[in-house]
Amino acid sequence: MHGRVKVRTTEEEVARKQKERQEKLKKFKYAMQKIQGKRNQGELDKELLELTGNVLSSNPDIYTLWNIRREIFTLFLKDDAMLDEMCALYDAELQLTEYCLKINPKSYGAWHQREWVLTTRSDPNWAQELAVCNKYLKLDERNFHTWDYRRFVVSKCKPSLKDEFDFTTEKLHDNFSNYSAWHYRSKMLVALFPDVEGGRPIEDSHHKHELKMVQSAAFTDPDDTSAWFYQRWLLGAVRNSVKLVVVTVTKSKTTLAFNQYVSHDYVKDKIQIVFNKSTIAGDWISCTGNQYDIVWIFKHTETIQDDMEIEVEHDGDNGKNVVGCVKVKPFTFIGKNQISFQKSYSEPVLKELETQLDACRQLLALEPDNKWTLLTTTVFLYCIDAKKYHNEVIENLQALKSIDKLRIGYYNDLITKWCIENQLNNYHGDNSISFKISFDEKISSLPHLQFYSHCENVDLSNQNISSKGLPSLIVLQNCKNLSLNNNKLTTLKGFPSLELEVLDLQNNDLDKSEVDLLKEKLNCNIIF
Amino acid sequence: MDDDLPTDFEVIVVGTGMVESIVAAACSRIGKNVLHLDSSDHYGGLWASYNFDGLQKFIKEVNADPKRQWPVYNLSEKWYIEKESSEPEQNEDKKEGDENKTDDSKAETQKKIWSQANFTAEYRKFNIDMTPKLLFSRGPLVELLISSNIARYAEFRCVTRVLTWLNDRLAPVPCSRADVFATEAVSIVEKRMLMKMLTSIVGYNEEEMNNEFKDWNDKTFKEYLTHKGLTPNLIHYVLYAIAGGTDKMPCLEGVKECKKFLMSLGRYGNTPFLWPMYGSGELPQCFCRLCAVFGGVYCLNRPIDKVEIKTLDEGKRVVAIQSKSKTLNCNNLVVGIDECPKEMLPTEPVETSDISKAVFITNGTIMPSEKEPLTLLRFPPLTEEGHAVTVLEVGPATGSCPKGLFVVYFITKMVKDAESDLQQYAARIFDFSGDQTAESDKPKCLYSLYYNVKDTSVPVQSVASEVHVCAGPDVGLDFDRAVEQAEQVFKKICPGEEFLPRAPDPEEIVFEDDVTHGPEFARHDDEEGDAQ
Repeated sequence: MHGRVKVRTTEEEVARKQKERQEKLKKFKYAMQKIQGKRNQGELDKELLELTGNVLSSNPDIYTLWNIRREIFTLFLKDDAMLDEMCALYDAELQLTEYCLKINPKSYGAWHQREWVLTTRSDPNWAQELAVCNKYLKLDERNFHTWDYRRFVVSKCKPSLKDEFDFTTEKLHDNFSNYSAWHYRSKMLVALFPDVEGGRPIEDSHHKHELKMVQSAAFTDPDDTSAWFYQRWLLGAVRNSVKLVVVTVTKSKTTLAFNQYVSHDYVKDKIQIVFNKSTIAGDWISCTGNQYDIVWIFKHTETIQDDMEIEVEHDGDNGKNVVGCVKVKPFTFIGKNQISFQKSYSEPVLKELETQLDACRQLLALEPDNKWTLLTTTVFLYCIDAKKYHNEVIENLQALKSIDKLRIGYYNDLITKWCIENQLNNYHGDNSISFKISFDEKISSLPHLQFYSHCENVDLSNQNISSKGLPSLIVLQNCKNLSLNNNKLTTLKGFPSLELEVLDLQNNDLDKSEVDLLKEKLNCNIIF
Repeated sequence: MDDDLPTDFEVIVVGTGMVESIVAAACSRIGKNVLHLDSSDHYGGLWASYNFDGLQKFIKEVNADPKRQWPVYNLSEKWYIEKESSEPEQNEDKKEGDENKTDDSKAETQKKIWSQANFTAEYRKFNIDMTPKLLFSRGPLVELLISSNIARYAEFRCVTRVLTWLNDRLAPVPCSRADVFATEAVSIVEKRMLMKMLTSIVGYNEEEMNNEFKDWNDKTFKEYLTHKGLTPNLIHYVLYAIAGGTDKMPCLEGVKECKKFLMSLGRYGNTPFLWPMYGSGELPQCFCRLCAVFGGVYCLNRPIDKVEIKTLDEGKRVVAIQSKSKTLNCNNLVVGIDECPKEMLPTEPVETSDISKAVFITNGTIMPSEKEPLTLLRFPPLTEEGHAVTVLEVGPATGSCPKGLFVVYFITKMVKDAESDLQQYAARIFDFSGDQTAESDKPKCLYSLYYNVKDTSVPVQSVASEVHVCAGPDVGLDFDRAVEQAEQVFKKICPGEEFLPRAPDPEEIVFEDDVTHGPEFARHDDEEGDAQ
């Protein structure tokens, strides 16, 4: 036949590849041996640079070789004769890493080496480095290594925040499934557009714009979670200050509960306990023994009298807040603060949320079983007016449990949290020292339990609390009677050391031996 | 005539249009002995691309001898600019002067004033297509180019945007996920509706398809979209721009077209389309090149005079072709419809509608954008009896024209003639005043060419089973029908053979005693020894 070409068959091809691989392996082993040999001999020279460079160009992930190269560079730096050459060597090193990153764009070693070169050499070109990052992000806009490295470069060359913010816009317009870009955007947003006047993290018009943008992404592709993360972050971007929620003073203990975790330094500096108009001294002890806590115990040597005047001063973010305590029974004083879980958005942002809620409702009419639409609607309702929409929110969450079965636990926890918050709405005026769930939904976890740290009687019977929730009980520092009757407890591991008198553990799937052990530890009456 | 062209071939292909070239490559690739002829001095036939000089020659040729390029008629060429620049030197000076100024933006906006002489001087920078077409990124031609390894002969650019004519102005069509996200033209509820419609059309399997559309057989796509609750804006995007349809488009066809469009998204760029660098006319040549690599013999400027079927002694039939007083024999003749002698065609003419086309050369894009755009614009019909109009705008980056210019193609089904069918569309996006200095939000049209082409895309059965007639270009956006027909012709000539199997890369080719060392490219003797 004329003009025909002969082509390798697939078998020949396989055999050829196999052979090639074996040869590669042989070469690799030989090179690694030689490298180790030279290093052991202390021959940290240019030849070793070349040897390690060759191996790295096909295997960029061998950390050891990058380490050896840095050793060589460090040695060269001490050598005055090398002075003129260093610049060229650094450039070559950058070229090598760039080559390696082409092979594996997620090579930790290569990115790290680049960082090392640029921070070590005296003449780094940061602008050029930023261009390299942008080039790599063009090739793979989601590579978190590049984003991470880029943040490092940005910290050095300091481009304008606005440019950086616009860069994220550009990247998100290419492809909005990009956690790194949304995250970076959130950082730029609060740095660039804080609401100085209103004391909120983000200025109104920008907060609105971002909400719009993320809603657009969420509606374009609801199955993409990156946008939802950003949306939740935006919705949570409200003023959030530390509040003292309840003070309890008894003969045995003085406890303070906060709405969020605060440090030892915080309570030491910001809180003053005043008995009969005089500030008293004492030590702060976390109830869990951690650095940050929501319930702090104040150890002091004063004697508690039945007719004391007790006040707690909190030097908070919004000025001084004085909580006066009332006597609820002999030798027991309680002071509470007005609390609200309602997020306080500015008027324009709230308007925007209402518009978006409206859009969600329209969509929901079109596709009532769409999980994302229903969830977003629910979150909006909660954020706009949790109290007003409480029943609708809970109904929606119940519906979501049957639409999205994989996340039943998540929805249960949300129901629990938001129902407790709703119950806490009447918290301030109530001076009872008993706590009982007052709604029909069963709770599956124990959020906001520190609000009840003053209660002597805590009735958590007939709920869905599992053993995982037990450690949270530590905040019940003043509890004497605790009922966990008819829950989902399977073990008592993690049960905190509380000074209980009666503990009801009936109707749980528990081992008697465990109960006996706990009885010994707590030294209380356990009903089982 | 005395030439050393061999006279006996297994396959002779006449005409270097798309279908013919694919068949030639496919036959040569599996070892058929192929001769490929063309009556013109260039490749492509009706599918050719011309530089500006070539275009002028083509126009002259058609005007002088209408029979030579019989499918083309109604040519009407018009200039909107001066023959010579009135003060060319001064103009240059002025430009330089501007560049020296510190105000860069002003220098940039200063547009070159074009004259006909400039076109002539830069004629080689033009590649003007007679049959401009796009490739769907996952369409049959792209797949064929990849699977056959012919793609290495070609270069492409992504179409950067799809536009439509909506509410009396140009509007970008949000067709990809990124577009839908970024657009401010539709509300968020519409975004969800649009994405839902698009993803469900792509996602339907056959059963779901049958289920969803069982009652829609005799209804229009527009009725379906309306039934699904899409807003008028969304219906416009989906029906006119994505499906490329009209109000009359049948539902199932609309769904099919949408699916084709959407399936091709996300492979190479932000739109589903590729445009061949240097024009669509490059593509037939890529196939010819493969044909030649596998031993095909090429001869341009070689018209054929007569075709006869001869029966030899054993009852074997051969096709005898008279060309320049030489007889060429083959078992199978593949011939483009525009080159086919009348005696080989059936006597009753095929019913077809003709095509109206236009080429405009302008001094700017129809809608400015950050980077040089490559645009597909789909006009819905503006009149009751009219058809949808496809517009392609290509710029210097595609190798179609010199810097500062754009080539814009218009294609539609003929109603009256090219000029009356297309002028009203062109008038909406171009400024025909010819005044290049006046401010205008539309680009200035510098040159226009209207023409009609007979639609020769309907397959024609020749009178002899050894003669295979290849269809000409259709009015459609893509090359799909040409690929399909080429494969059918090939299957007839070489039943049971593989259609364009992957051509080896040079390094995969084995030279006899060179197996272990891989591809050293040397030793001409050995290569020849192998071949014998």
